[in-house]
Amino acid sequence: MNSKPTSHNNRLGLRGWVYAGKYTFERYLYLAHRLTGMGLIAYMILHIIETANRMRGVEAWQGLMGLFASWPFKIIEYLLFAAAVFHALNGVRLMMTELGFFLGKPKEPVYPYSSSIKRHRPLTYIIMALAGLIIILGGSSLFFP
Amino acid sequence: MRETRLWSWHLLVIPIIIVLLGLHFAVMHYAPVFYGISVEKAREFETMIERGKSVTQLVLYILLLAAALYHGLYGLRGIIRELPMSPALGKIVDYSVIGLGLFIFAFGTYVTWWTYSFKIGG
Repeated sequence: MNSKPTSHNNRLGLRGWVYAGKYTFERYLYLAHRLTGMGLIAYMILHIIETANRMRGVEAWQGLMGLFASWPFKIIEYLLFAAAVFHALNGVRLMMTELGFFLGKPKEPVYPYSSSIKRHRPLTYIIMALAGLIIILGGSSLFFP
Repeated sequence: MRETRLWSWHLLVIPIIIVLLGLHFAVMHYAPVFYGISVEKAREFETMIERGKSVTQLVLYILLLAAALYHGLYGLRGIIRELPMSPALGKIVDYSVIGLGLFIFAFGTYVTWWTYSFKIGG
């Protein structure tokens, strides 16, 4: 078998992220995990560059912090917090899946099929509800200290 | 084997990121909740320098920087390498991601060290 990657292995490219047939709830979580991950790494690099502003002195630093205290930046900060919480908790779920937890025991494929994804789904809902709760609570202390 | 090792590191740094990023959020963004001081006070130049002069903070921030950059850039590299591309272009992507990671790590470490070695009133 030729296991060498070819340019045809992922022929849908970016389009395949969104739709390539019937995608499940977990597949869209996977897409959100990627998007939040890319947002977080982009922000992290910008964050390192902007906080280096401290080397330009007190005025430059206070000016930057004043900008971050404005409402548009508060909203961006909250979106980043929400992305980080979602990415972290969905990551915990992915790690549990990777390590084989909450997938049930392998069974004979007899109709009606019971897939490991379906057995895992209650945990998915619990983790997403927890993420939603943390995101709401985080927002309440960020906007209404 | 090499890819398995890189993937294992991608997973192993997660607990480090969760703990250290949680601390970072608590100190910088949720100071009123965890430390009883306002966010404005937590972000003042003097407060930031005072915090940055701790050896613990120096070590933890460099550790967070390394862990988060590795996790994030390895993930980014995986996303890019999944797209249709020639092996030669794949190599360019790999080296670019490594170069970017090393540059940002060096820069972030320098800023953290600058804060640590800052002389108040000097």
